[in-house]
Amino acid sequence: MIYLDYSATTPVSYDVLESYLKATKDFIGNPNSLHSLGVKSKTLMNTAIKQISELFNVLESEITFTSGATESNNMALIGACLANQHKGHHIIVSKLEHPSIYKICEYLEQNGFYISYVNNDEEGLIDFDDLKNKMREDTILVSICAVNSEVGIRQPLKMIRQIIKKENSNTLFHSDMTQAVGKIPVNFHDVDMASITAHKIFGPKGIGLFYKNSRVKIVPLIYGSGKSNELKPGTPAVPLIVSFSKALRLALTDLDKRENFVRRLNEKIVGEFQKLDGIILNQTKYSIPQILNISLKNIRPETLIHALEEYEIYVSTNTACASGELSTSIMAIYNDKKRAMSSIRISLSYITTTDEINRFLSYFKTIYHKLNELTD
Amino acid sequence: MKKLIIIKYGEMTTKKDNIGLFLRTLKDNITQALVKEEVNIIYDTGRMFLYCNQNNFDKVVEKLQCIFGIHEIIIGYELDDHNQKRIEDALKVMIQNITFNTFKVETKRSNKNYPLKSPEISKRLGGLVLKEKTGTSVDVHHPEVTIHVEIRLEKAYLYIEKRKGLGGYPVGTLGKGLLMLSGGIDSPVAGYLTMKRGVKIEAIYFESPPHTSQEAKNKVQSLAKILKKYQNTCVLHIVNFTEIQESIYKNIPHEYLITIMRRMMYRISERIAKQRKCKIIVNGESIGQVASQTLTSMNAINQVVQIPVIRPLACFDKLEIIKLAEKIGTYQTSILPYEDCCTIFVPEHPIINPEIKKCEEFEKCFPYEELIKEAIEQHEIVHIEKEESIYNDLL
Repeated sequence: MIYLDYSATTPVSYDVLESYLKATKDFIGNPNSLHSLGVKSKTLMNTAIKQISELFNVLESEITFTSGATESNNMALIGACLANQHKGHHIIVSKLEHPSIYKICEYLEQNGFYISYVNNDEEGLIDFDDLKNKMREDTILVSICAVNSEVGIRQPLKMIRQIIKKENSNTLFHSDMTQAVGKIPVNFHDVDMASITAHKIFGPKGIGLFYKNSRVKIVPLIYGSGKSNELKPGTPAVPLIVSFSKALRLALTDLDKRENFVRRLNEKIVGEFQKLDGIILNQTKYSIPQILNISLKNIRPETLIHALEEYEIYVSTNTACASGELSTSIMAIYNDKKRAMSSIRISLSYITTTDEINRFLSYFKTIYHKLNELTD
Repeated sequence: MKKLIIIKYGEMTTKKDNIGLFLRTLKDNITQALVKEEVNIIYDTGRMFLYCNQNNFDKVVEKLQCIFGIHEIIIGYELDDHNQKRIEDALKVMIQNITFNTFKVETKRSNKNYPLKSPEISKRLGGLVLKEKTGTSVDVHHPEVTIHVEIRLEKAYLYIEKRKGLGGYPVGTLGKGLLMLSGGIDSPVAGYLTMKRGVKIEAIYFESPPHTSQEAKNKVQSLAKILKKYQNTCVLHIVNFTEIQESIYKNIPHEYLITIMRRMMYRISERIAKQRKCKIIVNGESIGQVASQTLTSMNAINQVVQIPVIRPLACFDKLEIIKLAEKIGTYQTSILPYEDCCTIFVPEHPIINPEIKKCEEFEKCFPYEELIKEAIEQHEIVHIEKEESIYNDLL
């Protein structure tokens, strides 16, 4: 099998799974219980949270565990809007967000909030002037992803933050960092709130993280008992938290080295694709090397994906969360409907091998020529 | 040109006869603290040179800042030769990302065969800095930045950045002590100050389940874990004190509860200290702070042991202690609100001038000797670093 869809999800690493199993078997107590089994679980959980807080250089109390990035995004956007509706009803998001952000925006629009979509330039970078123009006195929230999930555009969050805060110091800044963590360095201090998830960094599915700076007040979306966290009450998922903490630690080591390695793989694929007619690269100088997006002139992307699948090669159309639809990101950057309808995303990881890429390229070329002949 | 860390020792160099032991211990302590960072250490009587992976630099420096016996941590560059041109190139690289208005260059030349004398080298390099960094000027009295250049026999070193180390003596060079660790603010600080003088600490904690909780015990383990940062390992002795404490409560006039309880704790501590080859008992007592810490009380309590009892905080104010606790990172844990042995069964009016005779008389009321023996035999020994490694595997 050649798996090239790491931006959709990653396999769980062996070490992480071991932690999950061990924490499940040996730490059965509810961390909210008073007795020693509960305390044992709580101690382990707190150590895991401490590790995460140190990895991101934030306070332990600024971390909330969710079921994944979608839940974190909900918590951030809806929670912040409800808490700040007395200040205004205006929200700004980019045109390069994950579909979950747009769905939340739809909900917020139905409930009296106004959404502005900030433009980006032809390289995918947020248009700073447009952002400045769109910022208003009643803008309560801006949400811009750190790395776009389809084309991999990386946004300069620090600069964006400066612009936002200069225009309106009350406006909160949230970033969906799901596609950034474990690929490039991220800094939670660039934002007020952030969302990440475990399953993109070789962690288990079903757990994400919501970061909220301690100064920021939001309205909780979930209510219940349990002392651990006011935003997410209930019994904490200790094994998930422990294994997530481990996955994060492993994901954040050697970032530079890993990025350089993936860059070489990316360049190799790009080099070969450039020799093929009918392939358009959807890549700008701001794309991270782990995500390689192309559009096909003559072949339906679904056909190519299924043809590759026969050789146990797995890539995706758009993102897994929006399959079969027009790619909003490619529309936003290239404003070309045909290009946006026919895109394929190949996503790489530091565990991808050169051999896998060689084999992928050779299968790809064979299939590509065959399918191209059919369309002639 | 290699980036490296240079360590200066300070006070230790006054120990002429034992300097070898001090340096070996320091090197061992550093090696142990940095075992995960893959550091190569070379040392002589003047300083230590640490070579490590560039990515680990911050982590290594952070860890070095928790090791006693280090006076100064220097982040610098090493050149394999002292060719003038190469020193100049290295200097350019070094000052590239630093902004400053005033500076001076200070040169040391232990290689007296070097063709240029120290002031000449400083002058030339100073000229170079002025050229590279326009707008800067030399200020020999109060420069913002001092650029140090050292010309040694075969090598040259350049550095600007210096961080203060913890000072003191390497932990272990002066033997071992047993710290009475209660869970409060004072005792961890007392432990820290004792470690600073080169004494390795083992800790003893008295628990009274079910009157005291697992959380209180965990809190003490967390404190031991923080102290462990300064000496790499830490052994914690946990003594079940329930029966003794209940017997005291049943048999002794309540105003003497605390005095007798402390006498029992001292007795147990002394015996465990001897078992573990600890030469002293250390605790966080501060004169006058509570009823058991008046001079008369201290005298009545101290009476039951022969071993020296060191009280590093005897003359500290509470605010000074809190400041130190915050600095060493134990304060936030110490103020967690769990009951410990000393806060349960507290009489309304504890005696502040206990009489030794009365103490001895009261103690005859219950077979404390047997209970003490039993408590010592059954006490739990926790190796904090092993406890930690269970978590490390999981995390």
